[in-house]
Amino acid sequence: MSTTRRSQRLEAEPLRRGLAAVARYGLLLSVAAIIIIPVGYAVIGGFKDSAQLTTDPIGLPNPWVTSNYTDVLASDSFWRQLLNSVLIAAMSTFLVALFSALAAFVFARRVFPGREVLFTLFTLGLLFPAAVAILPLFILVRDLGLYDNPLGIALPEAAFGLPLTILVLRPFFHSIPTELEDAASIDGCGQFGFFWRVLLPLSRPALATVALLAIVFSWNQFLLPLVMLSSEANWTLPLGVTNYSTQFTTDTARILAYTTLALIPALIFYVFAERQLVGGLTSGAVKG
Amino acid sequence: MTAALQSGARTRRRAVGAWATIGLFMLPALSLYVLFVLLPIAQAVRFSFFKWNGLAPLTEFVGLANYERALADPVFIGAVSHNVLIVVLSLALQIPFALGLALMLNRRFRGRAALRLVFFAPYVIAEVITGVVWSLLLQPGGLAEGALEAFGLGSLYHPWLADPSTVMLALFVIISWKYFGFHMILLLAGLQGIPRELDEAAAMDGASRRQAIRYVTLPLLGPTLRVSVFLSIIGALQLFDLVWVTTGGGPVNASNTMATYMFDWGFRRFQLGYGSAVAVILFILALVVALAYQRFVMRRDIEGAVTIYGG
Amino acid sequence: MSTRWRSVGILGAVALLVGACTGGASPVASPSEAPTSVAPSVAPSAEPVEIDWWHIQNNDPGKQLWQDLADEYTAAHPNVKVNLTVLENEAFKTKLTTEMQAKTPPDLFQSWGGGGMAEQQKAGLLKDITADVASWKDTINPGALGMYQVDGKQYGIPFDLGMVGFWYNKDLFDKAGITTPPATWAELLDAVKKLTAEGITPIALGGKDKWPGMFYWAYLALRAGGKDAMANAVATGDWSGTSFVEAGKQLKALVDLEPFQEGFLAAPWDGAGGQAASMANEKAAMQLMGQWAPGTMQANTPDKQKVKFNLGWFPFPSLEGGAGAPTDGFGGGNGFAVGKDAPPETVDFLKFLVSSDAANRWGALNSGILPTTVGAETSVTDPDLKSVLENRAKAEYVQLYLDQATTPALGGVINDAIQTLYAGTGTPEQVAATISDAAKTQ
Repeated sequence: MSTTRRSQRLEAEPLRRGLAAVARYGLLLSVAAIIIIPVGYAVIGGFKDSAQLTTDPIGLPNPWVTSNYTDVLASDSFWRQLLNSVLIAAMSTFLVALFSALAAFVFARRVFPGREVLFTLFTLGLLFPAAVAILPLFILVRDLGLYDNPLGIALPEAAFGLPLTILVLRPFFHSIPTELEDAASIDGCGQFGFFWRVLLPLSRPALATVALLAIVFSWNQFLLPLVMLSSEANWTLPLGVTNYSTQFTTDTARILAYTTLALIPALIFYVFAERQLVGGLTSGAVKG
Repeated sequence: MTAALQSGARTRRRAVGAWATIGLFMLPALSLYVLFVLLPIAQAVRFSFFKWNGLAPLTEFVGLANYERALADPVFIGAVSHNVLIVVLSLALQIPFALGLALMLNRRFRGRAALRLVFFAPYVIAEVITGVVWSLLLQPGGLAEGALEAFGLGSLYHPWLADPSTVMLALFVIISWKYFGFHMILLLAGLQGIPRELDEAAAMDGASRRQAIRYVTLPLLGPTLRVSVFLSIIGALQLFDLVWVTTGGGPVNASNTMATYMFDWGFRRFQLGYGSAVAVILFILALVVALAYQRFVMRRDIEGAVTIYGG
Repeated sequence: MSTRWRSVGILGAVALLVGACTGGASPVASPSEAPTSVAPSVAPSAEPVEIDWWHIQNNDPGKQLWQDLADEYTAAHPNVKVNLTVLENEAFKTKLTTEMQAKTPPDLFQSWGGGGMAEQQKAGLLKDITADVASWKDTINPGALGMYQVDGKQYGIPFDLGMVGFWYNKDLFDKAGITTPPATWAELLDAVKKLTAEGITPIALGGKDKWPGMFYWAYLALRAGGKDAMANAVATGDWSGTSFVEAGKQLKALVDLEPFQEGFLAAPWDGAGGQAASMANEKAAMQLMGQWAPGTMQANTPDKQKVKFNLGWFPFPSLEGGAGAPTDGFGGGNGFAVGKDAPPETVDFLKFLVSSDAANRWGALNSGILPTTVGAETSVTDPDLKSVLENRAKAEYVQLYLDQATTPALGGVINDAIQTLYAGTGTPEQVAATISDAAKTQ
């Protein structure tokens, strides 16, 4: 069994190997602990009220105030905003992943004049702070009749996500061997067929990665939904959190609770994407 | 023959159908991009040549005056220096650390999935909350001070966020905390693309773990690593949300970045022409870096160097 | 593999369809059915009218009160529909800016008057309502009314005006042996020293937000140079007067005593660990703040009740040798401006919103909104808020917050410059010079 093999290996190797594993584990765990502290702080902070956060920032909540979490979970606005966020994230991720994959395919596996210039043109989008473009963008979205429409947010999000996604996908698509493409065409599969049925499934780690990044990007967007939406029924989660601040007050504890809850769906996406990340080229097609 | 030449030859042999494919494949991304990114940016560039408060009609053409003003403003120059500091620190500390942890997280062991989730969680947290939580952690009487005191190191505590000379370093810690997960999953995805057979082959050839990493894994990880570094540099130049929420660029402009400067002086003070000019300067700086990077560092990826199975 | 993509594809297609079919409302309620005349409105037309109203009282009880008022009005005027948009303060500013820039301002929206409003007026985005309100403008406090005028013409109506003053913890003052609140600046510095000697943090300050710090300098300038020097500087952009350097010097004297809480330069006004929270939890003895302070402090107490200690209020002390009257006030409030495309019914609705009845209900909430409708002051029952109101009544002159009285650009420069005094990186002369220079380039 694997355990016997493992102990045999440990015996066979120098003691150093065992210690190295322990050291490695220890390092990982301590780094994880440090990283998790602020997250834990946010979660637990939601169980305090704002006064406790000021008077007793370090200790555990005393008393445990559950109303922050329960009030948020009980409000319909939270669930409606959650749904809106999910909808917009799904649309924008689908668009950016599909469009980028198509473009990255061409960049990675085809040669044509002006290819690098076009690629650089796409990377330009990474270099410009999106906040500056918000006014012309707003006018454009309105003129297209997409004001107060989830698409009015999903389309710009996808557009601004294109540079990063293409940039990440390109090396992955490039590393798929041409032999596969030749084999596919011999089998009568067209270029799109190869793309859809061979390349994409093989690129699962890369696709999962960019999908995850796109979802997180959309999930936390604040400026775009604020400007492009008008009715509160269409609000997304980041907009919802503003209800816990007023002109002169900020209910920090409730904000912590709200944001912790808003975090959970994104983490769930991550867990799903994670399974795809573990897959990869070792499955089947590329052996020999 | 390199893969590029091979596919190039085949492309030439194909009929017009190949060109059509290229065009069709590129069309969706290109049209979305031109419409929602390039056009608004072009508009914004146009604004930069005017003195404009965003409300009145766009009439006061001032040419390059906004640019001159920005480049002469010590606060803006300070902001640029802060960005550069973050770039240097990120490259020196953040990326190697992310790489090391990605390598460790690549092997199978119990609890790996949970650990990965933990490392990724900070990236998912909205900037707003990151700023709030870290401010609470680092403020006097907060968790940082408490933890240091518990270890008897209380005298090491300093209100880092309130002191102009330490605020940028404190921000670097927060930035690293947040974006570390991003680089980690990029590198992990890249590592997934390296078949196990190669590691096993290297081990059979007698390579130690370290040699295997150095001579097999890292080179193959090269393209992804170069992308990660690129994104780190560009991200450091564009830094906005986190800084804005945590310190607002203060105290006394000690933590301004080019983007927070643009937002504060441009947007909030209704000087949109000026803000657009600052954005264009930021853009040009990033462009120069990006072009240089692509030309000198990423060149080999573009030319289709060693693929796993290629010649 | 491919099945997964297929389902993603279907989901995406459905989403696209949903998005396209549930297309949004048009961004601006069309006033197309309202009469287009700009003259003083006659009786409102019986045709359906929509009013887009944006306000920022996004928490109860204020939020509920505005909603009730809107409902009452529409019940009495069945042809009017009020589209209410409630936003948080910062979100409001951002969203309003984009609507303004696209030339589609809402019909009725939150405004702070002063220079910010003047910029909107210059861009032709506001409606001149001077004639419309002529018949009832005397029901509004004249000082407040003036803040919503540009070149003598009315563009908005206030519903709240307060004054900045010192809120203090009587118990902590007693502990330090301070029996009466300081009446002069020298006495204030003295009080600070006494508190420090007792180990009490004298003053809470939210340095990160910059505007709390600006209050000190502005008041000192007002005390040193008097209302004419201040009003003149705001109007002409000439900040070179000696009173502004004097203000910096006096402020520096305070800062040198190190009266603020540790890490104050990174502390915000509100929220956990901020100025209000420090004060509410008795970590500091006093703070210079506007009339909303009790509300914010209350939000930061353990059970969101009133603060447990004895809260008091005293006006900003006088400055020996200063030209300013000790009764001059510094403060601001809230009001509503009318957008350029607003239907005439908007002004009638506005009149309803600031009527005595509405104002009395606002006062009774004791929430920190101090009504500006004449006669409604009596509805405020909280003793500290009453003090503020009394001082407001005594003041012959109330200076609007500097970052609202001037343009947003200059206001930003002012706040930044003053912050250097707190951080010790600027001198009083430099502060005045920086502001003067910036004002010249406006």
